[in-house]
Amino acid sequence: MGDVRLMKGNEVIAEAAIRCGCDGYFGYPITPQSEVLETLAIRRPWEETGMVVLQAESETASINMLYGAASTGKKVMTSSSSPGISLMAEGISYLAGAELPCLIVNVQRGGPGLGTIQPSQADYFQTCKGGGHGDYKLIVLAPASVQEMYDFVELGFELAFKYKNPAIILSDGVIGQMMEKVELGEYKPRWTAEQIQEISGSWACLGKAGRERHISTSLELDPYGMEKNNLRFQAKYREMEAKEVRYEMFDCEDAEYILVAFGSSARICQKTVEIARSKGLKVGLLRPITLFPFPTPIIRELAGTVKGFLSVEMNAGQMVEDVRLAVNGKVPVEHFGRYGGVIHTPEEVFDALKQKLIGE
Amino acid sequence: MDDQITYTQKDFKSENEVRWCPGCGDHAIMNSIQRAMANLGRKHEDFAVISGIGCSSRFPYYMSTFGFHTIHGRASAVASGVKCANPNLCIWQITGDGDALAIGGNHFIHLVRRNIDINLVLFNNKIYGLTKGQYSPTTDRGAITKSSPFGTIEDPFNPGKLVIGAGGNFFARSIDSNVKFTQEVFEEAARHEGTSVCEVLQNCVIFNDGVHNAITDPEFRADRQLFLKHGEKMIFGANNEKGIVFEKGRLKAVTIGQDGYTLDDILVHDAEEPTGWLQMLLCSMGLPELPVAFGVIRSVKAPVYDQVLVEQIEEVKASSPIKCMDDLLNSGDTWEVK
Repeated sequence: MGDVRLMKGNEVIAEAAIRCGCDGYFGYPITPQSEVLETLAIRRPWEETGMVVLQAESETASINMLYGAASTGKKVMTSSSSPGISLMAEGISYLAGAELPCLIVNVQRGGPGLGTIQPSQADYFQTCKGGGHGDYKLIVLAPASVQEMYDFVELGFELAFKYKNPAIILSDGVIGQMMEKVELGEYKPRWTAEQIQEISGSWACLGKAGRERHISTSLELDPYGMEKNNLRFQAKYREMEAKEVRYEMFDCEDAEYILVAFGSSARICQKTVEIARSKGLKVGLLRPITLFPFPTPIIRELAGTVKGFLSVEMNAGQMVEDVRLAVNGKVPVEHFGRYGGVIHTPEEVFDALKQKLIGE
Repeated sequence: MDDQITYTQKDFKSENEVRWCPGCGDHAIMNSIQRAMANLGRKHEDFAVISGIGCSSRFPYYMSTFGFHTIHGRASAVASGVKCANPNLCIWQITGDGDALAIGGNHFIHLVRRNIDINLVLFNNKIYGLTKGQYSPTTDRGAITKSSPFGTIEDPFNPGKLVIGAGGNFFARSIDSNVKFTQEVFEEAARHEGTSVCEVLQNCVIFNDGVHNAITDPEFRADRQLFLKHGEKMIFGANNEKGIVFEKGRLKAVTIGQDGYTLDDILVHDAEEPTGWLQMLLCSMGLPELPVAFGVIRSVKAPVYDQVLVEQIEEVKASSPIKCMDDLLNSGDTWEVK
């Protein structure tokens, strides 16, 4: 085993960034994710790896600094919590439109508005269905453990560069604040100028002579040209749907009812599955790891064999719409969730399952 | 309106439990504001308290007036909207160094530039308190905070210079612990027509305790604080023995009767001087060479946006040939459909 530590989810985001060779972080304090910025500040990566850490004057500044930094072909990231991500929406749309790779972390809290600082999953729509304007998609990774907070930083960068598209880790206040065992990976050096030239040489602003001029932009005034751009984006999103779907299943082989849950809700639902199984009920759990691309094919397949799905989310019913689209009316799909910063218990989920689907 | 309005501080207190930390400077500032409001002769229902996000922005909950707890950094814009939609209100915007000068810097300078009649109180504790101790845009260069464990590498804003630089017409500075003085400053700010900005040096007991101690230390404060009054000499010191002179393009602190300086050499404060060049220097004064200036540093009469807005609407209405629907229908080409 490698370097094993007991760490907070937010601290691990910072640690992972340093270890995976991230070049820059731009952020602004907001509860419950300020430890990302603070951990980076105390770790002093600018001395260790040369990574830049900057506290901006707002989330609007953070995302635009990220927009600029991403145009240089470097591995750059930001993090925030729900209201801060709303402020970044404009920049995120531009990053997607200009096809620039970067990593964003959202440690969600309850909304709408200023809401609360307690955990929530109510930004599913914002993250997966838009948030900013225009037909764009983010690569959305939903960690359910501190270990995944670590692993998804590197994975997020990998996918962002593979598709020249922003990737986002959609976490929440539970995962960000809780401490768990985490195995840290090896230090990977930051990319050299030569490596960046090789990976992103066709578009990145490298400051190297003898290259064709490139302008990073999301603007195309000719509508036919803009449609062409959109067709290119859509082809990319279809490719993600074909190649990048990630999910995990627990006790689904013989299941009659399936809970669908991501992030901390999935951790709670694992316990619900145990409770149900102990009472002889055949219940399984499907945990989408990528929320975009969504694991539509497996849900469609399971819809042929199970009696119903319960989408369990810390929101008023968001992912359930994607589950319903996948199931396409074959079997009932219900939603259960607590919201506004309240976390459901495994027993509440079990009761909802019985009430809404099993019929007891 | 009632002929006699007699309010006291407690008429402006709300039922809500005040949740600032014990010892926080915000408690004192709230006392000053409530006392100032009671003295203004305005009806209770005319007051609206508008805040952004931060510790100071919890203010509306603790006031018995109408309130609006808005968006981080956006209070200046929201307050502008409230005042322009209902110019009769007496608007108090409560904000901090983060809310007004970091995320809200853009809205802040535009409020000041437009000169909308809003009383803006800027709590300056040089730290982000609500998010537990990261540096703000007024944090001194080199300060150790949670997000700058090895010292900041940025220079801070000087709010007074920012206000004057943005074309502002009223700027005052006070300190949380001096409740009576702060109250007077607030009353003057409220009576000023147009945007008034009052910076109140505030102590955050938890995340930046003692940040203003060098200025407030009882042993030295007479030598380190200069209380400005329009039309009066800039003198300070325990026995009023010191003063400010303008020499070789700079401000200088001197002792009256020493090195040939007499009372005649000491500058007289002119808060109404429109260009603001000397007021800008007064805002910049700081330890160790010079005392810190308090009081109304700038108070200049200028067109007030919300007043001009209403006047312009009335003017255009008065000069328009269209007074009713019939006028409108007969104002251009008309034809009859047969």
